Amino acid sequence: MSFDFSLIAESLPLMLMGIGITFKLLVISGVLGFCLAVGLLLMRISGKWYLNFPAQVYIYVFRGTPILVQIFIIYYGLPQFEWIRDSVFWAVLREPTGCAILALTLNTGAYVSEILRGGVLGVGKGLLEAGSALGMSARQKFIYITTPIAARLALPAYSNDVISLLKSTALASTITIADMTGIARTIVADTYAPYEIFMSLAIIYMIFTFGLQKLFGVIERYLGRYSRREG
Amino acid sequence: MDVLTGWWDDYFWGALIVGKVFICSLGLMILFGLLGAMAKLSNSRVAQKIAGAYTVVFRGTPEILVILLLYFGSAIALTSIAQIFNPDIKFVDVPPFWAGTIAISIIVGSYATETFRGAFLGVNPGSIEAARALGMSDLQTFIYVRIPEMWRLALPPFGNHMLSLIKDTALISIIGLNETMFVAKQAITVTGKPFTMYIVVGAIYLGFSTIVTLFVMGVEKFGERTTIGAK
Repeated sequence: MSFDFSLIAESLPLMLMGIGITFKLLVISGVLGFCLAVGLLLMRISGKWYLNFPAQVYIYVFRGTPILVQIFIIYYGLPQFEWIRDSVFWAVLREPTGCAILALTLNTGAYVSEILRGGVLGVGKGLLEAGSALGMSARQKFIYITTPIAARLALPAYSNDVISLLKSTALASTITIADMTGIARTIVADTYAPYEIFMSLAIIYMIFTFGLQKLFGVIERYLGRYSRREG
Repeated sequence: MDVLTGWWDDYFWGALIVGKVFICSLGLMILFGLLGAMAKLSNSRVAQKIAGAYTVVFRGTPEILVILLLYFGSAIALTSIAQIFNPDIKFVDVPPFWAGTIAISIIVGSYATETFRGAFLGVNPGSIEAARALGMSDLQTFIYVRIPEMWRLALPPFGNHMLSLIKDTALISIIGLNETMFVAKQAITVTGKPFTMYIVVGAIYLGFSTIVTLFVMGVEKFGERTTIGAK
């Protein structure tokens, strides 16, 4: 059992070929998931039970089940129904990539909406009262007062969720997608050298995570530029 | 629903394995978390560095990668050790149950490290001074003052770690643990109804998550029974 560095050098470029797919899964499902989360958030804070209740059930179900099960239900499960195979969605659901993006979107949307709700609930009552005193409508208060402050409050938790989304993209390899993990698993199946391959892949993911953390650090500093204490 | 006839007992045994993995990994997770937190809070530079590396590595690497690395990696190591004694042995592996349990408890333990560290730092210094004044030894202070204050602070995030543990057990099916995901796979090859079978898996996990959530809520109430009104 020895560490084979030439094998790492050979397989590293192969694994990096999958970085595009990992990145694509992360960005598309991150953006779509965020839109879904905002929708769910608006439903939850609408104060109407027929909007609040379905959103709550949705969040409960998607946060209470493993993402792997969700991926399998969408990829292996949905084609069980004839009408899905005949519908327009089949173009997306036929492709494993489409399924993975759908599953990751639905999953991250549930988590992010709770994070955003935490931010919204953290906005000071006094500020909203000040808004009312200035004669702002509910919509104006939401856009000009709640949104900027809630974004600042929710950002640290949101950055953690983006990182766990990145880690979840690795599960796409279970439905035959050749992302970085998928390629690594193929190489390991051929060479049977799990240490070299998986460890170097772990380092790639860590660099990716580190980059995301730095990026969110910059955004956090930018959003907090007025609230930073002097000195 | 009649396609499910005959599979209920398989699902039951699968769910029992999920429960077993959860119990075992919960114990190990607390152990890793406490060790990590102690190392981070210790005066030793080396221990701090090791614990820091532990949290960075396992929070930045996808769970599935850690599970695969631990399972295949330990199999290679064990095989090469076994071959020293008996060259005829072709393959020895750690049972997927233990490889998976250890892997997920290491991963979630890295999150628990931060939780426990924060909770220990949150213990009121006044309480510790009071304990000193009463002539308690360091060990007594730890058991009677630090731990009771610390677990109440750690509980809400710790509940989330327990939920991650439950959901991560689904990943162990990838290395061949015969839990509910595995049962579903077998059932699908016989019945050809993937959606139904994976929905059952989802429902089982949702049940587990609900139990854990209710349990944490109960314990939280229990923890607050003497502090209500004191805050």
